Amino acid sequence: MTEENIPQAQPEQPETPKKPVKPKKDPRAKLYKPETPLILASSPHFHTKDTVPRIMWNVVAALVPATVLALVYFQWAAVGIILTSVSSALIAEMLVNRVRGESFTIPDGSALITGLLLALTLPPSFSLGGTALGSVFAIVVGKHFFGGLGYNIFNPALLGRAFLQASFPVPMTTWTWPLTARYADVDGITAATPLGLFKFEGVTSELSGLLTGNISGSLGETSAIAILIGGIYLLIRKYADWRIPLSFLLSTFLVSGVFWLISPESYPSPVFQLFSGGLMLGAFFMATDMVTSPVTARGAWIFGAGAGFILVIIRLFGGLPEGVMYSILLMNAFTPLINRYTRPKFFGEIRA
Amino acid sequence: MSSTLSLKTEFIKGIWKENPVMASLLGLCPTLAVTNAANNGLAMGLATTFVLLSSSLMISALRNFIPHQVRIAGYIVIIATFVTVADRFLAAYFPVISASLGPYIPLIVVNCLILGRQEAFSSRNGIGRSLLDSLGMGIGFIIVLVVLGIIREILGSGSIFGIAILGDWFTPWMVMILPPGAFLTLGILIALANWYNDPSRSKERGTVS
Amino acid sequence: MSKMSLSTRMILVLTLITVLSGGILAGWDTITKPKIAFHRQEALKAAIGDVLPAHDTYTREETEFGTIYIAIATRDSSEHLVGIAFMAVGSGFQGELRIMVGLSPDMTQLTGIKVLEQIETPGLGTKIVVDPSNKQDPYWFPAQFRGVHLSPEIVVIKNAKPTRNNEVQGITGATISSKAVTNILNDQIAHIKTVWPSKGGPES
Repeated sequence: MTEENIPQAQPEQPETPKKPVKPKKDPRAKLYKPETPLILASSPHFHTKDTVPRIMWNVVAALVPATVLALVYFQWAAVGIILTSVSSALIAEMLVNRVRGESFTIPDGSALITGLLLALTLPPSFSLGGTALGSVFAIVVGKHFFGGLGYNIFNPALLGRAFLQASFPVPMTTWTWPLTARYADVDGITAATPLGLFKFEGVTSELSGLLTGNISGSLGETSAIAILIGGIYLLIRKYADWRIPLSFLLSTFLVSGVFWLISPESYPSPVFQLFSGGLMLGAFFMATDMVTSPVTARGAWIFGAGAGFILVIIRLFGGLPEGVMYSILLMNAFTPLINRYTRPKFFGEIRA
Repeated sequence: MSSTLSLKTEFIKGIWKENPVMASLLGLCPTLAVTNAANNGLAMGLATTFVLLSSSLMISALRNFIPHQVRIAGYIVIIATFVTVADRFLAAYFPVISASLGPYIPLIVVNCLILGRQEAFSSRNGIGRSLLDSLGMGIGFIIVLVVLGIIREILGSGSIFGIAILGDWFTPWMVMILPPGAFLTLGILIALANWYNDPSRSKERGTVS
Repeated sequence: MSKMSLSTRMILVLTLITVLSGGILAGWDTITKPKIAFHRQEALKAAIGDVLPAHDTYTREETEFGTIYIAIATRDSSEHLVGIAFMAVGSGFQGELRIMVGLSPDMTQLTGIKVLEQIETPGLGTKIVVDPSNKQDPYWFPAQFRGVHLSPEIVVIKNAKPTRNNEVQGITGATISSKAVTNILNDQIAHIKTVWPSKGGPES
């Protein structure tokens, strides 16, 4: 039976393109035939100094404000979760590299970002074992099962979080107050997030808390300002497509605004929707992931608008109070389709 | 066109090389739906094997009488008869298992594994060979369902066959008893099997190191 | 056989197969039917026994809101009404819930509930039946309904112990399933009250 199967494997070899960076041949490489319009701009082509590590380390830098605030608000809980998540991600990456027999990819920083982003989306009281599990899942299943960095369909950190949400639904929705908040003297009290408060009790929270982050919520998503600082840095350095966060936020604002105008008593105001939950973190750091978002400008608008629409629908009518994770994951799934239908015309091309 | 394999191969092939789930991806609906516990996987596997064996017996015996044009209709009636027998049997003697498997026992009728074996094998081979083939396929199916059930039950409920084996320290991974857990586990199992079967693996290992 | 036309043969063979199949099923049915009916009866009896206090027998009465089971205990050689039970059906978080509900004879309290069919989220919503994470008292959620008062209606409270006699504690992480149970109860008990007058209580 060994002899039968060898001829099937052979056609892959002649088509393996010259890829100096990755010496290991990848079976998917044959998909990238020359006629596939990977490069959308016309000539002349300039070589940029942007490399994968350079982009990734800039994203890490942009996450610093949110991380620092998480440490300030949640202190040792945040230290434990962030360290566990990042180190498990790095170890998992290393082991996968080893199994796949490829060069070590830790220096490109992508595993570090996945670990850090996952940590920032977890509740402060979450167990360290669960954190490590989610982080390993994100790297192994979310990234490497699909072929490694650049081939993953879904944002790995979000996939890790989705796995944890499905595995441990109660701990993933059990929140504690920041140690700096006014209720912190009551030990061990659980606190509903602003979105949860609205969904189940119909209470809206003050905007000041939503902006500074002195509220209950996931580690890194409580402060809109800290995320905005990092996010705007990314946009200025052009490491994230500004159209995606803008259209995501705009679409959330408009869709929730429509519901709010119809019935202000039963639906929260669009401003509350913008600044609560994980929307800011998701819009600036998760939706803009270069691998899993559309490459075309029109595609970016569609991606953001769709994510905003799904988000509002989930928040208002779904069983969960928050829907940023699922809205981005769903749009990730649409990205290949969006790319295909927003492909720019070739010069002189006539659509049939 | 009758098979020329030895009787032993005829039996063995369903367990690994032509395993209905791992190699042909047949019968995925029950495989994914009922394997949230080892018990359920075992019951479903046994029920399916019973239907497979009895309909193979009937169809290989009747293969020269059933006109080609109406064979599918005839097969389905025969399969449905045995499925109903199995369904009624479980409801009468094992009401708890019958309740936990719900509609998936009647759904064995549309399990491609069964019609597939009849069409591909029993309608072209004698009774003995057909029974051996069905038994092998049935055992292969049971093994996969039980393995899936065990993995999902350990991780999703911390127990095996309903007996708690992991202590209080273990927080069950709820996702494993939900549909996504079925897809994940089956996908990983099939990937491992393909990796194991990959003929280029030994060669590659030789050249890389 | 070979002289027969093809269509005649097709009809003949298919007829033969279906007759054979019908015969097998008819025979099998006579064997299994009494057993299946017996299990069904036992399950019903067990469910009624779970939601009502001890009783000797029950009768059934058909109403426009379904069957009501009237439980009777024989004490001092006379029959006493122990309570009534009925099946409440409504939508849960993901699908239909079927709950056996026991009511006291004066229709002011519940004597117990038992969720018989549900497809809630495993590990969360399924706690309305049994909560394996609570080792001491896995049945804490349904057990709360024993003795709960119906006026004005049953209320779910979150993250706190009930203080009033019409309150039950909700399940953390499964607010919707908890509320679905009480909504179904409140809704259907109101219906039952219109067809079954309260018996016993202060006036009797």
